[in-house]
Amino acid sequence: MATEMVQTSCGMCYIGCGIQVKVENGVAVSIEGDPNNPQNRGNICAKGQAGLMNLYNPHRIKTPLKRTNPQRGLHVDPGWKEISWDEALNTIVSKLVAIRDNPKQLYIQGWEVTGDSHLWLHAFASAFGTPHYSSNGSPTCGKVIHPVEFFAAGGFHQQPDLHYCNYCILVGTQFAIAARASFNHILRDMADARARGMKLIVVDPIGGFAGSKADQWIPVRPGTDTAFALSMLHVLLNELGIYDEKFLKHKTNAPYLVGSRGLYVRDPNSGKPLVYDAADQRIKPHDDPTLSDPAITGGGEGGRPSFELLREHVAKYPPEKTEEITTIPAATLRQLAKEFGEAACIGSTTVIDGVELPYRPVCVDWAKGPQGHKHGFHQCWPLKLLNIVVGAVSVPGGILSTGAAGKKPFQWFPEGGTDGMLEKGGNILPLPHPKAFPGRTPTKPVRNDLAELFPLAPHYHTLLPITAGDHERYGLTYGLQVMLHTPTNSVLGSFGDLNVVERFYQSIPFIAGFAIEINETNLFDDIVLPFPSYLERFDFNAGTSSRQLGPCGQDDWFWQIRQPVVEPAPGLRHPQEIIMELAEKVGILDDFYQLLNHTFRLKEPYALEAGRRYSPPETIDRISRCWFGEEHDLKWFQEHGVIRYQKEVEETYIGPFLKARLPIYLEHFLQRGEELKEVIGQMGLDWDFSDYTPLSEWMPCPSYNALQKGDYDLIAVHYKFPYVYGAFGNDNPWINEICEQTNAYHIILNEEVAKAKGIQDNDEVWLESPVCKVRAKAKLTQCIHPQVVGVGGHFGHWAPGMPIAQGKGVNFNSLLPTDLDHIDKISTALDHCVEVRLYK
Amino acid sequence: MGDLRAVVESRDLEMSLPQGSSVGDLLSSLAERFGDPFAKWVFTGSGDLHHYILIFVNGENIQDIGGLSVKLGEQGGKVEIIMLPMFEGG
Repeated sequence: MATEMVQTSCGMCYIGCGIQVKVENGVAVSIEGDPNNPQNRGNICAKGQAGLMNLYNPHRIKTPLKRTNPQRGLHVDPGWKEISWDEALNTIVSKLVAIRDNPKQLYIQGWEVTGDSHLWLHAFASAFGTPHYSSNGSPTCGKVIHPVEFFAAGGFHQQPDLHYCNYCILVGTQFAIAARASFNHILRDMADARARGMKLIVVDPIGGFAGSKADQWIPVRPGTDTAFALSMLHVLLNELGIYDEKFLKHKTNAPYLVGSRGLYVRDPNSGKPLVYDAADQRIKPHDDPTLSDPAITGGGEGGRPSFELLREHVAKYPPEKTEEITTIPAATLRQLAKEFGEAACIGSTTVIDGVELPYRPVCVDWAKGPQGHKHGFHQCWPLKLLNIVVGAVSVPGGILSTGAAGKKPFQWFPEGGTDGMLEKGGNILPLPHPKAFPGRTPTKPVRNDLAELFPLAPHYHTLLPITAGDHERYGLTYGLQVMLHTPTNSVLGSFGDLNVVERFYQSIPFIAGFAIEINETNLFDDIVLPFPSYLERFDFNAGTSSRQLGPCGQDDWFWQIRQPVVEPAPGLRHPQEIIMELAEKVGILDDFYQLLNHTFRLKEPYALEAGRRYSPPETIDRISRCWFGEEHDLKWFQEHGVIRYQKEVEETYIGPFLKARLPIYLEHFLQRGEELKEVIGQMGLDWDFSDYTPLSEWMPCPSYNALQKGDYDLIAVHYKFPYVYGAFGNDNPWINEICEQTNAYHIILNEEVAKAKGIQDNDEVWLESPVCKVRAKAKLTQCIHPQVVGVGGHFGHWAPGMPIAQGKGVNFNSLLPTDLDHIDKISTALDHCVEVRLYK
Repeated sequence: MGDLRAVVESRDLEMSLPQGSSVGDLLSSLAERFGDPFAKWVFTGSGDLHHYILIFVNGENIQDIGGLSVKLGEQGGKVEIIMLPMFEGG
């Protein structure tokens, strides 16, 4: 029997762990973690091991299909007919050629971050000339964290420094316990940190996996994170007087003087923001070379330091008031603030590799939970401020920024810009990062997703279903005509109310998409293209870990590729090859290559040459040699799996090396808000501008108001399982078995509340939101806020092509009202806490 | 290429500019011709290029050869202005 171990990269979620696959006589029989890969250090999760079941799923699509039923809908049988590749691609090409003169009618849903497809489709969209390219899959995730991180730290995402942190507060995230990037790496770091005594606090409506590991779980009412954070700031700044004065003076805009209209006081000649130098008692520009002691308190008619405004602002949120909003007892909040402030060790330093660095072993981490609200930006921003005021940003023990800086194989590092503030994020690929500073000037919209009306948002796809039925209202003169999409299941997971989503998909005359199996999104397709399993594929970009979401701290930087471990099923083609063929047939191949060369930093002699065609192995070989030298070609990666470099201190703890200030006061929000008011006024739209404020205010979500009115009595929220990370690969018997044995398909409800409603464990109940009513099984627990219903995972499939997952669990997104009133006007996040009734 | 086609409504434009003109001059001329939607998508409030704007002159990225001051050349040349979608996002 021929047995071999093949090194490649997992593709069961966006992370991309290094794996070794045992192959016997051409059949993959087991998957293990690669011990030499810094991403996962030999670990592999349940979902990763279950990838074999997706490879050999008998319901996989292996031949192009076309729809024969002209009717399209959520539950309409498309009447699939198998067709040849030529017919499938020629049909798509004919639809693209038909809109060539007005290319903005093309929408590409490009979120497929397990491999190369999203980078290639990004280049395809730009070469074709459409602005409608979506590089994100969720209606909440990433909407706030990336823009905040890029302007307040310099990287793509944040990550607690588990190597040195002593006091870690997680808000609405199960970081390093049940979720997040580099999962199989940080999981071990979190366990080590807890073992050495790091105190872990979890603030979350649900005491789930993270709560179970915490020293203290603090249930919080959904959508009240702003009040919690502002109150913590109040206790720190006003009651305890704990803040990093030196850091705030020299590394933030805390000393920038603010005038009566909320804008900076500026030098009349240079336009630069002014500060008051206490050393010589003179007002001078923020970057004046004589500046030595910028004041962050005091002030008078000439303006007040923004820090003074922040302190005054947060005083409106004493813990007693916040208790009414959040349900967190005032004494608990004061205890947290005191412990957090004292553990920050302000003024301390440590020496790492011979370099003296500030030592701030505390941090507040947050992710998807606080982002998913009507005022999502301001739910999150003051949480970040907690780290900034104690100087715990990008230093040992504090909150670190993923992918922000590197020295090999290229140099990249965040840079300052407008007003001396951090403006340009660090990014290994020269692609525009999602950022919210200084933002863009609003104009009347040309785009169907109204991007022009969201000048501080990173992406906008949540607006597409809302405008689809009412273009004229937004001054749009056209609708989307052609959609191309990855295998990502957007119908189930990228939007909300399924009736609105259905109308959106029905409004697009032609849709073609990739498919692993026929999921709910593919039910709307006119043409389906089979997508190979990650175990049959070549990818240069094998997940997000190396590029933007690698483990922080001093662990090695690395790059890995993906190679097939088994022969692709007959009839399958690589997505890169298909995208290249479409580009050639549409007549944009040379432009497409120019953009791919830019994306992958390909220079002569490695650049893709006009007029030629390349196989996926050929392109990967070129990029590998261009990045890592001639000796590190594709063959080298196929044999060795991963290349790794030791990180230096400047790459790991970038804070002291950053030549730019971080914000504590968002002056540009006022500017963009005023500009937007003018545009909205011209359009005659009704718009909420309350979020365009430089200091965060807590504003209630619709669900909060609904409970106050008594129309509903519970709020539904979503939570994650480590073995159901994203909807990719859900039709899997091993994953299904874990879900069934852990009651993952149930919704969870507070035990006391359930008793009052006469509901027992395992009872069938109705769960009713303003837009959807579903049947569910209840699981009772004490580990959930009494006003909350928890809906986990990515379930509720109904597509017949997913017989294992079909009819199990609840699709949380379908509960969510989807209209402008539920969209955050800063980030475009869709509100993810929804008022519900629950009854038998 | 890129999002700017949504504003310019044309894939190719032929322009005549005075001898010695730079990429910056070309962009100013385009901003005058296409107004706010072009100018505000290309330039920040302080007059810098937005980070999502990519410009090639005869195939070379202007970031590598001198930025907006790059001369267009006596024989003219092909200038490609590309507005890339912001990338990545959860």
